[in-house]
Amino acid sequence: MRGDGRLSRLGWAAGGEPCAGAARLQVLGSLGSMAAKKLRRARLSQELCERLSRHQITTCQDFLCLSLLELMKVTGQSYYDVQKLLCKVSRACAPKMQTAYEMKLRKSVNPSSAFLSTTLHSLDKVLHGGVPCGSLTEITSPPGCGKTQFCIMVSVLATLPVSMGGLDGAVIYIDTESAFSAERLVEIAGNRFPTYFDSDEKLFCMTRSIHLYRELTCGSVLKRIMSLEEEIISKKVKLIIIDSVASVVRKEFDTKLQGNLAERSNFLARGASMLKYLAEEFSIPVSSSSFLKFLPYSIK
Amino acid sequence: MQREVGSLPLAPALRARLVAAGFQTAQELLETGPCGLSKEIGISKEEALEALQVVRQACHGEAARTAGASGATRKCTALELLEEEQAQGFIITFCSALDNILGGGVQLTKITEICGAPGVGKTQLCMQLAVDVQIPECFGGVAGEAVFIDTEGSFMVDRVVDIATACVQHCQLIAEAHQEEDHLKALETFSLESILSHIYYFRCRDYIELLAQVYLLPDFLSEHSKVRLVVVDGIAFPFRHDFEDLSLRTRLLNGLAQQLIIIANDHKSAVVLTNQMTTRIGQSQSTLVPALGESWGHAATVRLIFHWDNSQRLATLYKSPSQKESTIPYHITSHGFRDVQPPAVTQNAEDTEMNPRKRPRREEET
Repeated sequence: MRGDGRLSRLGWAAGGEPCAGAARLQVLGSLGSMAAKKLRRARLSQELCERLSRHQITTCQDFLCLSLLELMKVTGQSYYDVQKLLCKVSRACAPKMQTAYEMKLRKSVNPSSAFLSTTLHSLDKVLHGGVPCGSLTEITSPPGCGKTQFCIMVSVLATLPVSMGGLDGAVIYIDTESAFSAERLVEIAGNRFPTYFDSDEKLFCMTRSIHLYRELTCGSVLKRIMSLEEEIISKKVKLIIIDSVASVVRKEFDTKLQGNLAERSNFLARGASMLKYLAEEFSIPVSSSSFLKFLPYSIK
Repeated sequence: MQREVGSLPLAPALRARLVAAGFQTAQELLETGPCGLSKEIGISKEEALEALQVVRQACHGEAARTAGASGATRKCTALELLEEEQAQGFIITFCSALDNILGGGVQLTKITEICGAPGVGKTQLCMQLAVDVQIPECFGGVAGEAVFIDTEGSFMVDRVVDIATACVQHCQLIAEAHQEEDHLKALETFSLESILSHIYYFRCRDYIELLAQVYLLPDFLSEHSKVRLVVVDGIAFPFRHDFEDLSLRTRLLNGLAQQLIIIANDHKSAVVLTNQMTTRIGQSQSTLVPALGESWGHAATVRLIFHWDNSQRLATLYKSPSQKESTIPYHITSHGFRDVQPPAVTQNAEDTEMNPRKRPRREEET
């Protein structure tokens, strides 16, 4: 549960290492931006970079995947020098160290934005506050139990101002079953918070900040997830909902066929790691709903 | 000194030239001197000097080895090792049953792997160990610091605060009961802030960041020499997706395992890895086995498998060079990783189900 200031999260990355912060804003693909970092940004000398590029080694990923002997061959340097080079490139890619104490201090600076309260008191009590910001939450149930209704309600909550327990931000809603109903959204908002949504204008303002994307295939869902980073910054998004992961995966992957299991896991893992990265980077809750029989890894 | 030129750790091009020029042993190179070398090979004097320094370094390392000095090789008798092992501390887990089957706790200088399904308590144990490694020596701990490398993002600071608070309280109770001078002194420095400040946290998002971090770990550990525990939670996650080239994956994993073993030995620290479980689809049924394949199974010295039995969590010692296989129940409470009350050690027939390849040990062998 990482819950500190929203965009100040980008701030610490930028403050600590300016080039790393700038690197993160690029389109990522499946790996983090550190891996795709070009070697010349790792402060290697120009001739060395040119020499390596002749062997098709241009990024840190290519460099670090080679063994020491291979590196000696392509760089033409001695064992000890290659080890020093390895440290240099690793330093360009490695994450920054923080002590647990620093993490705790950062959290205590802004405790209120650590959770999104669901306004269901017993659920909030069990979750120790609500849906945690900065991590993935999975909602699972047999069909018809109310997952989509829960997602719609949480979307309304996220648009509320902080004083009312909301996140005062936009919502990205990725809908794979076409189950989202805007009428229902307005109905929930009007009935739940009649005093706040007393005018049509307020309702329109709320609906304008919920961005709905209909994605019907696994590939388009993944593509959409990969493109979210820029949207989050430009639209000031504070909540991401995917409803639902399972339906689109079950449609496309029949696990009885050979090879499908691996591909399905691949798709899920890539999506999950990207979502986790977005959740932590922007300190927002990400919620994905799925059917009961479907529990791949622990998407907490 | 009689080392062949071809085996010296020089740049490959230079090595090739030396061999082509007819040099055979390192002794010859050193006798020639930098000026002579530069004239014969056609390199600059500075390059020749550098090469000779490399040769000297390599040969001195070898000379020290042949003279029997400790340093590059660990040549010692089994008696010395026994004394060392007995004097070594263990990192306790606060679950006495688990400590018992491990032979005292998580051992230093060894790699321990914890496998289990999601949600069974692997990260909880890792967080517990990161706190327990810091327990002062007078309370039975190793008074070390911890490095926590997180690849899944499941590290929760609030949870570590809970665990650390419970640990400090536990130590305070012991100090009150025994009323000894050094206990009270140790408690002055053993506080929540100091525990949290000595857990060094790295968040690695993909396998490249993990590789880079492990390359840099020896330098980090030399600077922070009190580190006695390195946790990598989990090792499987970054390697399980996006790897079409399985041979590259195996090679990288083996390299990682080697580096971690070196780190464990050189810095006298315990390395704890967490692994996921994967489904192996057999003829008529599917079984859960640790992920990353069979060859990865050789990397860890000690392997623990956490699993469920209805609603009871169980820990099985699956692989250990010195301890018997056994299964014990454990609990995750608000204070952390604990025994089940009352602590009941169950050594049941589940052992045979867990590893069909191993012959079950009988009671008489103990």
